[in-house]
Amino acid sequence: MRIRKPWTPWDNSIDYKTLPGAMGVFEIADSKQKTIYIGKASGKSPFGLRGELFLCFGDKSDFDGQNWIHPRMGQPLPVIREHAAYFRYEVNHMYYSRWIEILTRFNEDHGRLPTGNLEDSEVIPKLGRYHWKTKESGTEN
Amino acid sequence: MVDFRISDEQKLIIDNVRRLIREEIRPLEEDLDPDAFSLPPSEKDRLVSMVKEMGLYQMDVPTEYGGPGIDIVTRTLVAEELSQHRAGLYAPAYGVFGHGPPGQLYNATDEQKEKYLWPVIRGEKSAFFGLSEPSGGSDPARAIKTRGIKDGDDWVINGGKLWNSGADTADFGIVYVRTDPSKGREGISAFLIDTETPGFRVERLVQVLRAHYTTELSFTDMRIPSQNLLGKEGGGFALANEYLSMQRIPYSATGLGVAILAHEMAMDWAKQRETFGQPLANRQAIQWMLVDNEIDIRTGRWACLQAADLAHRGEPFRFESSMAKLVATEGAGRVVDRSMQIFGGLGMSKDLPLERWYRELRIRRIGEGPSEVQRIVMARDLLNIRSGS
Ligand SMILES: Cc1cc2nc3c(=O)[nH]c(=O)nc-3n(C[C@H](O)[C@H](O)[C@H](O)COP(=O)(O)OP(=O)(O)OC[C@H]3O[C@@H](n4cnc5c(N)ncnc54)[C@H](O)[C@@H]3O)c2cc1C
Repeated sequence: MRIRKPWTPWDNSIDYKTLPGAMGVFEIADSKQKTIYIGKASGKSPFGLRGELFLCFGDKSDFDGQNWIHPRMGQPLPVIREHAAYFRYEVNHMYYSRWIEILTRFNEDHGRLPTGNLEDSEVIPKLGRYHWKTKESGTEN
Repeated sequence: MVDFRISDEQKLIIDNVRRLIREEIRPLEEDLDPDAFSLPPSEKDRLVSMVKEMGLYQMDVPTEYGGPGIDIVTRTLVAEELSQHRAGLYAPAYGVFGHGPPGQLYNATDEQKEKYLWPVIRGEKSAFFGLSEPSGGSDPARAIKTRGIKDGDDWVINGGKLWNSGADTADFGIVYVRTDPSKGREGISAFLIDTETPGFRVERLVQVLRAHYTTELSFTDMRIPSQNLLGKEGGGFALANEYLSMQRIPYSATGLGVAILAHEMAMDWAKQRETFGQPLANRQAIQWMLVDNEIDIRTGRWACLQAADLAHRGEPFRFESSMAKLVATEGAGRVVDRSMQIFGGLGMSKDLPLERWYRELRIRRIGEGPSEVQRIVMARDLLNIRSGS
């Protein structure tokens, strides 16, 4: 239901070129691996997931001169700029409904959305209910 | 001979809807995600007010329930207009014209109407439709395994459903349950089930080709009071009333709207785009694609309008409404496919809405009765075979 991948730290060991330029969904976590943002690389993202991740971690790493950020992408949210440390993603052409699914799961487990999504100006469609919680409930992960 | 000329009143309604789609909805879509299916709430509220002022809110609600009294032919013509935007196939005008209640609710008791029908008409509640199960959707009379057992004044329901659109956000659902395993169709009853009922659980959101997902549901010892039985015990399928079959006609015309817009876009592009020193529109290969588009659109429109006309005159229209669903949906799929071909690479990109319509129209050949089931219905009528054989 949530992205089933381990968290990866954003540091210089990443081969940025391996980050997909495709559409998909991603999660950003703080240094304690608590999710602070659930995002998507949409059909409008200029550099797909790679670009969206670069935007989130933009001022934190040396990109070896690479730049995958486009003016159209705007600025990262304050909470992401300050706290982003880990990421995980999933390439998914049905990024929009998958994004809603992950948000719905998080909302059900924690009774609220991640801080970054609460700050974000993007309108989230009405989220539904599962009527049950996963074992992640309350752990914030 | 059927007269398909449009009256002045119909023209006025169509023009109003057309203007709203072109001048309000399409510009808003430029800032939305290409797969979005809802508007920001402030924009939605603004447009709902506009629609109310036009007198077209809750178009699908009959006059005796406060609807504006739009006849089925006009409603079919309007459906063609409503879907002429990116999200138009599954979210025509993003719902700003209101969401009519499921047709079965008009057969509800007064008490049920108070609790379910009226709140939907007022926009306070939403419903899901729970028929299909993992065991099958085309032949639900045989496939339904969800079981209801009478216990005192209640029914205890166990089982599950698959493919239920909107069940995770709905307040209640119309759920078909086997209440008598010794009977076929007559062993199925419909229940009004609140999604807050203990034992109701959304197992997962099921991702499909379109952006709007469906759900998988499970029911564990769900206790439903007898008052929530909709219609008679064993009469679940009898609720599929005329109103419900009528709604299939504008539903089919919605696909045509998307095809019309795709075709217009392809024609403009064919005139502009030059290859080998000439516009695409000068090439016979392209002209034939455009002509075939036009034929598919006109055939679909005639099928929809003929079904609507019969329904309007109170004549039998089951064969024609199945034919409308089949012809309009399959034709619209071909139109979008050809239009994408004419656009070349651009036709594949998310810069244009074509790829979204292509995916969504594919679903249309399965949802609301797959093409094969429509053919089965027509064959039964042609050959005078009783349903269930
Ligand atoms: C996006 C989406 C949304 C949906 N929303 C809802 C919803 O809200 N509520 C709900 O209850 N259901 C919903 N459905 C389910 C839909 O109604 C079913 O998928 C449909 O009825 C087909 O049932 P099935 O998938 O079980 O296929 P099956 O019944 O297993 O049929 C498989 C294929 O065989 C064909 N077929 C079946 N019988 C015959 C025959 N006798 N001769 C020839 N061919 C035959 C069918 O047409 C189909 O192509 C939705 C489905 C989708 C994809």
